[in-house]
Amino acid sequence: MLVALWPERWSRQQRSNATLVSALVLMVLALSVLGQLLSFLPEPIGSNAQAFAAGARTTLWLTLVSGTLGLLLGTCAALARTARWRALRWVASFYIWAIRGTPLLVQILFVYFALPALVPGLNLPDFAAAVVALSLNVGAYNSESVRAGLLAVPRGQTEAARALGLGRLHVFFDVVFPQAFKIALPPLVSNFVALLKDSSLAYAIGVVELTNVGNRIQSATFQPIATLSTVAVTYLLLTTLVTQISNAIEYRFDVEGRVK
Amino acid sequence: MSTPQAFIVADHVCKSFGAHQVLCDVSTHFNTGEVTVIIGASGSGKSTLLRAINRLEPHDSGSITIEGVPVSDDIATLQKQRCDVGMVFQQFNLFGHLSVLDNITLAPRRVRHTARAQANAEAMVLLRRVGLHEHAHKYPWQLSGGQQQRVAIARALAMNPKVMLFDEPTSALDPEMVQEVLDVMRELARGGMTMIVVTHEMGFAREVADRVLFFDQGRIAHDAPPDAFFGNPANDRIRAFIGRMGA
Repeated sequence: MLVALWPERWSRQQRSNATLVSALVLMVLALSVLGQLLSFLPEPIGSNAQAFAAGARTTLWLTLVSGTLGLLLGTCAALARTARWRALRWVASFYIWAIRGTPLLVQILFVYFALPALVPGLNLPDFAAAVVALSLNVGAYNSESVRAGLLAVPRGQTEAARALGLGRLHVFFDVVFPQAFKIALPPLVSNFVALLKDSSLAYAIGVVELTNVGNRIQSATFQPIATLSTVAVTYLLLTTLVTQISNAIEYRFDVEGRVK
Repeated sequence: MSTPQAFIVADHVCKSFGAHQVLCDVSTHFNTGEVTVIIGASGSGKSTLLRAINRLEPHDSGSITIEGVPVSDDIATLQKQRCDVGMVFQQFNLFGHLSVLDNITLAPRRVRHTARAQANAEAMVLLRRVGLHEHAHKYPWQLSGGQQQRVAIARALAMNPKVMLFDEPTSALDPEMVQEVLDVMRELARGGMTMIVVTHEMGFAREVADRVLFFDQGRIAHDAPPDAFFGNPANDRIRAFIGRMGA
């Protein structure tokens, strides 16, 4: 774990920052030299190295955009789900029910093929369609993680904040949300890592991401072991780096020193 | 003594949780500069009255006024009233993700828009008063229960409240930590702070209170100065209660 690399005397914040920065640098570095690295490998990887690298970039990009949108969507849905207004709760529950109860592949196909038929003129390009479907999907799962966090913050925290005369927004943003987010972080990270892998389903609507690249090369060269192994290892590399970043964030919020 | 002024007035306050009526027609008033101790068995409505005063627990009927202004759901008024009414909880309720200093400065910075440097300086003065200035940069979990409760008192004082409500402030503490919290409260009372204290600490009530209220089944069963209350119990029920509390 990267967090453990830094000197003992550094503060929590310094260690967290150092980890964040180095994990981000590693990620950019890994993506930029992935093509070069793979080109040293024997056939059929070497000659297709740039295609692999481009696929990996698309996968990561797809994940980052959908992950960010999904986090916003998830937070909003969690708030709606715990809102005072009954209609809002109902809408959020319906959204979560519908998304969690249907396969992601169906959702991706639906956004790409059925949405233009339902709403004339809404012809999303393949990448955008994948982003919409993936965000909606991860948003539903995120909302339950965030809701779990919100419910886990003791009632006394809100009461103390209100008793101090803090307004509703301050009670939420200064007291409740930071603590809820900390609790929700591990499941949110799980969702994010799952998203990175699930983004491979965008393959079905022709997004040229990592899995798609691997499968194309595999079927063109008849060398499934080498190509699919490369795909798998690249996913592992990406998820490992993502986990380092999330560990750094988790470490930063862990003022009680409970994360070992 | 100059003529006491009623700061908080409760008039025929009722409150039920479902079928259980916790406050039955409670009428009383709390004067400026007075220390009122509320005692009574658990479930007798003491805490509920305290929580109704700053509307953490809205009452069903009757009225509560603070300086003549009724406590209601009107957000702007309520927030202003809550700034004037400091509250200390049984479970401390310090914000676990904030340092001791940030716990104290949060409300002044957000509500009064005090600059951080000034808020910190004021917080340090308060921390010195409760004897915890060396712990300013620690987090709540690093402190003992007694220390946490003293931070909670400092946090409430940071808004310069006109009255302090204490909801069983020592009930969650180990016996050896009770004194350090009572000392801070005693110091506050000596400084002229208006206080309403729900507690089981009979010694504190005897020594510090100007007035003792005895709650029984949602009603104020007795209201007397501590000397009369403890020296000459009004009825057997109070006598039995005092006996059980070992005072």
